[in-house]
Amino acid sequence: MTAVDHQAYIDAAAATLGLRISLEQRKGVALYFGLAAGMAELLQGLPLTAADESGNVFTPVAPEVDE
Amino acid sequence: MNLDACAIAGGVRAGTTSARAAVQHSLDRIAATDPRVNAFTSVLAERALKRADAVDLNPRRSRMKLAGVPFAVKNLFDVAGLPTLAGSKIERDSPPARRDAVLVRRLEAEGAVLVGALNMDEYAYGFSTENTHYGATHNPHDLSRIGGGSSGGSAAAVAAGQVPFTLGSDTNGSIRVPASLCGTFGLKPTFGRLPRTGSYPFVASLDHLGPFARSVADLALSYDVMQGPDVADPACAQRDIEAVSDKLGQGAAGLRVAVLGGWFRDKALPEALAAVDAVAQALGTTRLIELPEVERARAAAFLITCGEGGALHLDDLRTRALDFDPMTRDRFLANALIPAAWVMRAHRVRHWFARRVARAFETVDVLIAPATPCVAPPIGTEWLDIGGQRLPSRASMGLLTQPISCIGLPVVTVPLWGLSAASPHLPIGVQLIAAPWREDLALRVAAELESQGLCSAPVAPGL
Repeated sequence: MTAVDHQAYIDAAAATLGLRISLEQRKGVALYFGLAAGMAELLQGLPLTAADESGNVFTPVAPEVDE
Repeated sequence: MNLDACAIAGGVRAGTTSARAAVQHSLDRIAATDPRVNAFTSVLAERALKRADAVDLNPRRSRMKLAGVPFAVKNLFDVAGLPTLAGSKIERDSPPARRDAVLVRRLEAEGAVLVGALNMDEYAYGFSTENTHYGATHNPHDLSRIGGGSSGGSAAAVAAGQVPFTLGSDTNGSIRVPASLCGTFGLKPTFGRLPRTGSYPFVASLDHLGPFARSVADLALSYDVMQGPDVADPACAQRDIEAVSDKLGQGAAGLRVAVLGGWFRDKALPEALAAVDAVAQALGTTRLIELPEVERARAAAFLITCGEGGALHLDDLRTRALDFDPMTRDRFLANALIPAAWVMRAHRVRHWFARRVARAFETVDVLIAPATPCVAPPIGTEWLDIGGQRLPSRASMGLLTQPISCIGLPVVTVPLWGLSAASPHLPIGVQLIAAPWREDLALRVAAELESQGLCSAPVAPGL
């Protein structure tokens, strides 16, 4: 995404999530979103396969039963 | 307080001193020094003295591992009767915690006495503890400088001699960075080792809790007391206690040690490189190992932090964004907006990296790297020059810690002194990194370096 795309995305995502970003906050939000976008681009450059799925595990929660 | 926790507990157990005397000494030291250091956000004198008296009267006192030892916790730990601030103004409105965090309860069950709660970056999002709501925590070794963060109060309280040990949290470096800048020992255990029940989360996928202390024996003792599973924290491993205190005497004998190269040298200033080289020399190693894709591992931790941190605070960002610290507000707002696909890929890269690093640990036991790129910068520093790049100072403090916590490895941070030509009075820390669940190996190496006199955590003089 280019810097221009970031701002369009930021505005749309903020509206979707119900976030109001003031004029004073706009510059900082764009700066930090841009940093995250740069990190995401870096990760995109690492080839991954389906075998590299993260496998984050959810642990089912059993009821507490008095013995 | 110049005695370490082991010495205080030994005295209280033997009856040569009392828990009340130890706690009163700590309270007096806090009163005398904290107006300059600003490590504490709450001091619990009444509770602490009451508990100290209970320890003195306890028939088990002679067997309590931490009998009468004062300690304090980062203010994201629940303390009964206090709102859990997590460095924020917003959480002042939260109801008081009904009971103490699990780790506080485990420590107090062995006779330790909580004396207060400690300053931090808001919601643990920072490396400097320049908190707008509660003021900056000052480095006890140079009051014009940061103490690091986000557990800045936890490191500063130990370095100032206010308490012999404290607890903090580490998501991307928040134990290791302040330990490095304040010159204390610090332990970030393996992800999932210590239960986080009763602590305010930052990034549940990355949050660790651990101790700061002025001796390796104190780190090990407090860590041993805190171990054990807790089902209320879904990330806490159901592992038995694996005590380390009785292994410290084995030192580094027989361990395979190597220095981390690449990213970990490229992002370090001369004092950090000198610290690593001194540790390597003391351990008799010239071996250099380079891990693959370290920059991407750091990016993965960065994005997981963005995604989870932003989502956690979404409701408050919608309704009261102006109540956030200006140091964190725009970052949290930006983080709330990032696409899920970025975060999910970051989790996949995290696992990719963990598998590669596990291979490296097939041939080595402990890896050495700097904990911070440099010694503590002055409060208010915005930019640093590192490796020919102009980088934001606060975020850059975590450049060398973030790739390691990304994959949950246990790390002991050890402090060295006199390595900065411009600021020889300041410490800098070195990370001793082990494979998952091998805290014992990192602590053994730390104990070896301490016994050689290379690493130490003295109370700051002249406070």
